[in-house]
Amino acid sequence: MESSNRKIGIREYMAIAFLTVGTKLSDDTPTLLVSETLTAGWIAALLTGIISIVPVLLMIKVLSVHKGKNFYEVLIFLFGKLIGNLIAMVLLLIAFSALIIDSAIYTDIIDTMYFTTTPAIVIYGVLMLVCTFGAKKGLEQIGSVAWLLLFYIKITLFIVLLYAWQGGRPSFIFPLWGGGKGQIIKAGITKVSLFADFLYFGMIAPLVTSFKSFKKGTWIALAVVTIELTAAVMAYTILLDYTTLRLINYPFHEAIRNINIGFLTNVEMLFFPFWLLATFIRFSFYLYIVTMLFGFIFKIKQFSYVLPVVATLVVFIGIAPEAPTFTIFQLRETLLTIVSPVYIGVPCLMWITSKIKGGTENEKKMEKN
Amino acid sequence: MFKKLKKIFVSNEKKQEEPNPNNSKEKELKESSIKRQVDANISLLKEIYNVPENLDVKFRNVTVGGSSQKCCLIFISTISNVPMLEDNVIKPLVNNKEQQKRVPHILTVSNIRYAADFKTALLEINRGNAILIADGEDTAFIIESANFKSRGIEQVQNEVIVKGPKEAFTESAGTNISLLRKRLKNENMVVESVKISERSGNEVAMLYVKNLANEQLIGKVRNRLQSLSADAIQNLPLLEQYLEDRKISLFPTILYTERPDRAASFIEDGHIVLVMDNSPDSLIMPATFWSFFHTPEEHYLRFPFGNFTRALRITALFISIFASAIYVAITNYHSEMIPADLLLAIASTRERVPFPIIVEILMMEMAFELIREAGLRVPSPIGPTIGIVGALILGQAAVEANIISPVVIIVVALGGLTSFAVSDISLNFTVRLTRFLFILASGAFGIYGMTAFFIVGIFYMVSISSFGVPYLSPMSPKYKSSNDTIFRRLLENEKFRPGYLKPKDIKKKGNEA
Repeated sequence: MESSNRKIGIREYMAIAFLTVGTKLSDDTPTLLVSETLTAGWIAALLTGIISIVPVLLMIKVLSVHKGKNFYEVLIFLFGKLIGNLIAMVLLLIAFSALIIDSAIYTDIIDTMYFTTTPAIVIYGVLMLVCTFGAKKGLEQIGSVAWLLLFYIKITLFIVLLYAWQGGRPSFIFPLWGGGKGQIIKAGITKVSLFADFLYFGMIAPLVTSFKSFKKGTWIALAVVTIELTAAVMAYTILLDYTTLRLINYPFHEAIRNINIGFLTNVEMLFFPFWLLATFIRFSFYLYIVTMLFGFIFKIKQFSYVLPVVATLVVFIGIAPEAPTFTIFQLRETLLTIVSPVYIGVPCLMWITSKIKGGTENEKKMEKN
Repeated sequence: MFKKLKKIFVSNEKKQEEPNPNNSKEKELKESSIKRQVDANISLLKEIYNVPENLDVKFRNVTVGGSSQKCCLIFISTISNVPMLEDNVIKPLVNNKEQQKRVPHILTVSNIRYAADFKTALLEINRGNAILIADGEDTAFIIESANFKSRGIEQVQNEVIVKGPKEAFTESAGTNISLLRKRLKNENMVVESVKISERSGNEVAMLYVKNLANEQLIGKVRNRLQSLSADAIQNLPLLEQYLEDRKISLFPTILYTERPDRAASFIEDGHIVLVMDNSPDSLIMPATFWSFFHTPEEHYLRFPFGNFTRALRITALFISIFASAIYVAITNYHSEMIPADLLLAIASTRERVPFPIIVEILMMEMAFELIREAGLRVPSPIGPTIGIVGALILGQAAVEANIISPVVIIVVALGGLTSFAVSDISLNFTVRLTRFLFILASGAFGIYGMTAFFIVGIFYMVSISSFGVPYLSPMSPKYKSSNDTIFRRLLENEKFRPGYLKPKDIKKKGNEA
């Protein structure tokens, strides 16, 4: 892995961000957003993105003071070894559970929507095998692949959304406030952890060519992904109406089933490969981040050797729940609610500590001078 | 297990390397320096060259007219220009009248070099040059007289294009370098010679533009060439395999071309080109995926036509890789995708075929590859017959015998024919082999398997590099360049040399060189 020492450019970084967070609009996230807010799911999506500005801004502020250090190193620097590692452990646990739950959902999507007769464990196994291969190649390669395929993945997504927009009834998004403003705010806050990935992008901050491009990339990604998610939830509401949307788990896949192009009546298989590509890249990156964090906490320099173990664990834990369509949906909702305060809290805590510590350090510098 | 095998092999090699007493004696002789007595030198050389058993090594004794100094001209008559030696060496020596003149001043050849020891002298004789030794001189005079036989410059055979130059490289390195110099009239172009094999003394010429090519890259290539330790490397296709980083990879990392215009344009961009005797071609390094995908014609054709060709080729590439695999995937796993009428049509043709689809496709693909390979080896007079038998009769009969359904023939023939649009021979093999892998992947998991395999392939492609240059650059990782990847740009807009080479001068216009 000699080449993995090289840094990734802003394009690659943004492509990773688009695909890891952006792909969420194609799983059960829209359903989660709509379940309480009814027709106003898209406002909740927009709200989560807006609330996310706070933790992302604070994280960037803290990282900008410690350029060249990644998120973990900053944690250790700010909170000391014990508490820093403890927080990192919590983050690792969250990332690991998210990886398990999300990959189980995607396996379930493939299994229930496309390959109904193939055993789930085989699908899961292939998924993680491919992702281990990708993660093993290193961040630079994940970034390059993401950038190479980003355009095609987003084009197909755009076509789907466009179809949903013109195939549905715009009046379905009314009443505008859906389940009520209180519900929207509640959903916006509890589901804000949809964007928790941005916290983990801090881990790769020093691997992006310059801090400036990291900062720029993060903001662009946050903006684009928020708009994407909002537009998607809106499109699903328009196409399926909120009552149906609350009942089905994977609206994206239902939407592409509704598309027919001319004489081709079932074209979901044209969109499925592109969605799969995004899925593979997404979990390759998650796997990479989880093992990277694991490697930092337990001082394993060659952390790529841990990848197969982590991937195997993911498959065996992820395959365990019976009736995954329902169990994992519940699990994910719970996880998101638990993670939300962590997502907002950790950067705040870091920022405050940084302010206090940074102050004293500046004073030290002043004394020296 | 592997370690044990390796041990066995290594120990065998060691045994073979035990020094042979004869060899060491010969080595000692070769190391010695040239003596002042002509006779001693002659007898030594005769011993080394096995004269008189060795027929074409000639020793011509001459006594210089005027001074009656004894000389001897040694050369190999089959690879030297004998009339030239007669006119410019032997005649002036014999006809000389002046007593005081030294031998090199008498000769009327264009260039004389000196050799102090036998090792150098032998090397020069083996290269076709003549050696003149004279009484009282402790150096031998090297007279350039090499004249190896080879064919003339002919038309390009494999990389055929319609518009543009038609000259091809030949088996003579000198001719090839001259073809390149004809295109690059630049004092900064360096032709560096590196010896790459011990016993046969093969040499390779390394060509680059001194004030363009990156020093590190030149050093890297030179080191790689010098570190080779083979007895003989006959030609460039063999050398290519010695130089590659990943020898069993499906993807080629060194570009092989028989077109001097193509090689010249790569040198202009800061690449390094290798040229060698016995090879009607050149090696270009580093090479990216795009250099295999391109042909020079796309730049010779006008902008829209060139890009139309590129669009055709990328389509052909995808059809060739995916056509059969998609057919297997759709008919096996996703039959709901096919419109009902077409599905019925396919089903009715398959009604009496006894094999599963994947077996049918694999059988037909194998047949296609076999016909293709056989067609390549068939002597040209009976070639067309084989083509007709193979393509028409075999296919027709297979359909009528209900072994293959007609749709499969269409799919396989389409995939097979489109693969010819990929003109680079290495990439062509890559495409043909990955096609089989995709068929197996889609047979196992349908579109899911194909996509999984596809992304594994992309991950792999992104991770390989050719002499430190990422395979898919400048697309990703991004470098400053003319962005000549899938499509080309207007010539005026192709302003930059590829940044991944780190050339000394990245801008193409308004600069010298």
